[in-house]
Amino acid sequence: MNFDRRNFFKTVCVAGATLAVGSSFGAAKPEENAIEFQGVLYDSTRCLGCRACERVCAKAHKQPEPKDELKAGVIRKTSEKQRSVINNYVTSKGEVFVKKQCMHCNEPACAAACLTQAMYKTKEGPVIWRGKKCMGCRYCMVSCPFDVPKFEYHSANPKIEKCDMCYDRIKAGKIPACAEACPGDALSFGTRRELIAEARKRIFENPKDYVDQIWGEQVAGGTGWLYLSSAPFNEVGFNTRLQNSSYPELSKGFLYTVPSVFVLLPPLLLGIHEATKNRNHSNDDENE
Amino acid sequence: MEGFTYHNIFDTKGVEYLAIIAFFAILIPFWIILNRQVRATKQLQRKLGILTASMLKIPQGIFFSTNHMWTHLDSKGIAKVGADDLLLHLTGEVKFSKLRKPGEIVQKEDMLAVVSHNGKQLRIVTPISGEIIAVNALLQQNPEMLNDDPYQKGWMYKIKPSRWIAETSKCYIAEEATGWSVKELERFKDFLATSVQRYAPEPTNVILQDGGELIDQPLSALPEDVWKDFEHSFLGTKPKYPHFRGLEKSGYGPEYYQ
Amino acid sequence: MKMNKQAQTMAKDNDGGSILKFILSELKPKGRLLSPFNIIAIPVILLGIVLVVIRFMYGIGSITNLTQDTPWGLWIGFDVVTGVAFAGGAYVLTFMVYVLKMEKYRSIVRVTVLNGFLAYLFYAGALLLDLGRPWNVINPIIGNSFGTSSVLFLVAWHFLLYMIAELIEFSPAIAEWLGTRRARKILSGLTMGAVIFGITLSTLHQSGLGALFLMAKDKIHPLWYSEFIPIMFLVSSVFAGLSMVIFEGSISHKVFFNQISEKNHRAQSGILQGLAKICAGAMFAYFFLQLLVFIHSKNWDLINTPLGYWFLFEMIGFVLVPMLLYLYSYRTRNIFMIRLAAIMTMLGIILNRLNISVIGFKWDAPVHYYPSWMEIVVTLTVIFTEILIFRWVINRMPVLRDSPAWVEDKH
Repeated sequence: MNFDRRNFFKTVCVAGATLAVGSSFGAAKPEENAIEFQGVLYDSTRCLGCRACERVCAKAHKQPEPKDELKAGVIRKTSEKQRSVINNYVTSKGEVFVKKQCMHCNEPACAAACLTQAMYKTKEGPVIWRGKKCMGCRYCMVSCPFDVPKFEYHSANPKIEKCDMCYDRIKAGKIPACAEACPGDALSFGTRRELIAEARKRIFENPKDYVDQIWGEQVAGGTGWLYLSSAPFNEVGFNTRLQNSSYPELSKGFLYTVPSVFVLLPPLLLGIHEATKNRNHSNDDENE
Repeated sequence: MEGFTYHNIFDTKGVEYLAIIAFFAILIPFWIILNRQVRATKQLQRKLGILTASMLKIPQGIFFSTNHMWTHLDSKGIAKVGADDLLLHLTGEVKFSKLRKPGEIVQKEDMLAVVSHNGKQLRIVTPISGEIIAVNALLQQNPEMLNDDPYQKGWMYKIKPSRWIAETSKCYIAEEATGWSVKELERFKDFLATSVQRYAPEPTNVILQDGGELIDQPLSALPEDVWKDFEHSFLGTKPKYPHFRGLEKSGYGPEYYQ
Repeated sequence: MKMNKQAQTMAKDNDGGSILKFILSELKPKGRLLSPFNIIAIPVILLGIVLVVIRFMYGIGSITNLTQDTPWGLWIGFDVVTGVAFAGGAYVLTFMVYVLKMEKYRSIVRVTVLNGFLAYLFYAGALLLDLGRPWNVINPIIGNSFGTSSVLFLVAWHFLLYMIAELIEFSPAIAEWLGTRRARKILSGLTMGAVIFGITLSTLHQSGLGALFLMAKDKIHPLWYSEFIPIMFLVSSVFAGLSMVIFEGSISHKVFFNQISEKNHRAQSGILQGLAKICAGAMFAYFFLQLLVFIHSKNWDLINTPLGYWFLFEMIGFVLVPMLLYLYSYRTRNIFMIRLAAIMTMLGIILNRLNISVIGFKWDAPVHYYPSWMEIVVTLTVIFTEILIFRWVINRMPVLRDSPAWVEDKH
């Protein structure tokens, strides 16, 4: 009978889907809580503007070395050819060098947006792009509040380019290339907890040198890349109007409602269908 | 969620979607089973004398009023009037009284006769206005003919109609009438459920079979209160003097004024 | 583009003959090759195909004006987001006819479902062109991996499932055309289930298209961004879809005049008036919803800016005015005004969707995005191809014309 065959087919499908999906979240329960996020603390007061980080980053990721000069007040952006950029900002406290790249948010909008999990928040902290899964929909670009992901518009097999905190190096026990190369000790790599403690210590010990805020401690729900600056953050190219809760929270309301609608709407419609079943013959007052 | 370890606010989404798929898979057989009870074979019903719509005779060229009276205009311009098969199946065999005489003028929904079964009475009203030309004499002699052949030999009155078109425009005819009869049976079952609960609270297995179907002539076994309720709530026959509704039991109802 | 050779082009269903032979015979073109529509459409389509080849060879940037700041442009903003809103007529009409049993609209259900199906098919196709790596589109389908936290995942899956549901809803027409009676019976039995499934899916993905933009809170102009975008999209899809039904129905009615039965001809103005009434009601609710959200967001000082005026232009000129026009034309039975209101409503929807996804998106970016002529040509290619397929189906299958005689229940 139709009934049985349909049921059997559905059971097989459910079983199959469970097997396919189950592996992705059956896995990580126990050690998950033990792994803490790694991050990078960037202290702009120690940055010399030498741009060694830019060159090392380009080399490590097989990108062309940036050839242009650093000019005060001329702001460059990251691109599909450059994952990290140093800019010279003219601020109320003088010229400040600030490095820009992916912020590696705790709850990244890009990872929540990615429908194939190509943008992926690793347990260790860095947010990476897994090219094999990516279909180039660019929804991550739409969602990122910092406008970080960059797309290769002129390639037949386009990639998304953004800083991945040298995840491969981290897995191999090393630290990100920029942190290693920085001569001024502006970049420190460690767990986020340690870095925030260190940042607070620096602010406490030298209150005149720093704005009393760690940028990245709370913005967008907290990020893995933390900033200390001598000038107010809105003067060094940060959008201080961004919210302090994570961005995926914004679509949480909608996504949480979806299962309820799936469960409630069909019975409601079936009910209305039943209730109007005998309506056919009696109502001909619709023609006007 | 301090922001130092991995935390995914959407980690149960995958399972939820699977649960939804399972929900749909279960919903379909659930819905089928829910609806399966209602169907029963018609042959079985006929054998057991269960009253269903398919048992009713509904000739296609006749007008049916909402009071379950029928009327049919012949080629000479005279209309025959009678009670429809559904009504007669509900009441069972009846006797007639208080019939009108030829020459009387009636308006739509005036009383035409009182039918009774074991002392329980029901007023029959006319679906059209006009002058009464004839009464079917056979009714007094062979009242069972009304039930056997309600549309032909069982006609009750011949009336010369005064407002035929206006009044029959609100009647049912042909396929509409068939659909309407089916619905009226359902409506009667609902009516019976409330009426019996109010006036005859004894076990109702005499009226409804296990499958929820009516036995034939369900009103015949029920008390007079249910008949009165049937006349007013189900047929919608308006009492001639509505302010006397409460006095009917006392005998000072409309019959008193006939 | 009237059908000149009527005897040759009057469609007939297969009656007992071999299905394969029938399909082969139906593949022959009917009607003139050089009809006015063909003369415009075919060159555009050919040019579009060339552009698509270029796109695949040299990347999306070679034919579009998309930038790193504005990754979504005309193809997403118009083809997908607006197109799907217009296809909303299918779920509204199937709800009205199959669930609420409003028999009056039954004669247009089939053509609306066909339109909905083709719309989703082609806009999903247009979406593939916009993807950087279209071959990876199967990844979220087969599980590599399921990005369940993503609204886009939900939308993509719904598109897929909804297309299947619409195909099932439309399949009795195909079965009638092919003369397969038993298949038709089985498929008709599935209709109710497909309708309910389709309405549920539609509710979620119409609002889901709005929910896509929720995370871009700081990037969309405050007058258009709110947490209520999903609900706005859902409500506006109701009157967007019905206005498209009015618009497209008016055109089909003229073009395929000789297929439509006498009864359906006479019923047309009644149907249009009924739809106008529903649109007026839905737009009334939508307008006040927008007002409510506007008050709630306390953005009134933004009204006195260029984009503020643009916002008022959209809301008053293309929501309030057509709503009043629908009301007026319904009350006065003015068919011409109903059609005018439909066109204005559709323009309003296009405006609204583009304002959120393109114009209001990164409105403060240094370089404003505007579509390149090549993007427009490709969009037109998609639309024209869809119309061609639509015409092919209408000229053969019992969509506008009556079903074959052996069909007992009307579907």
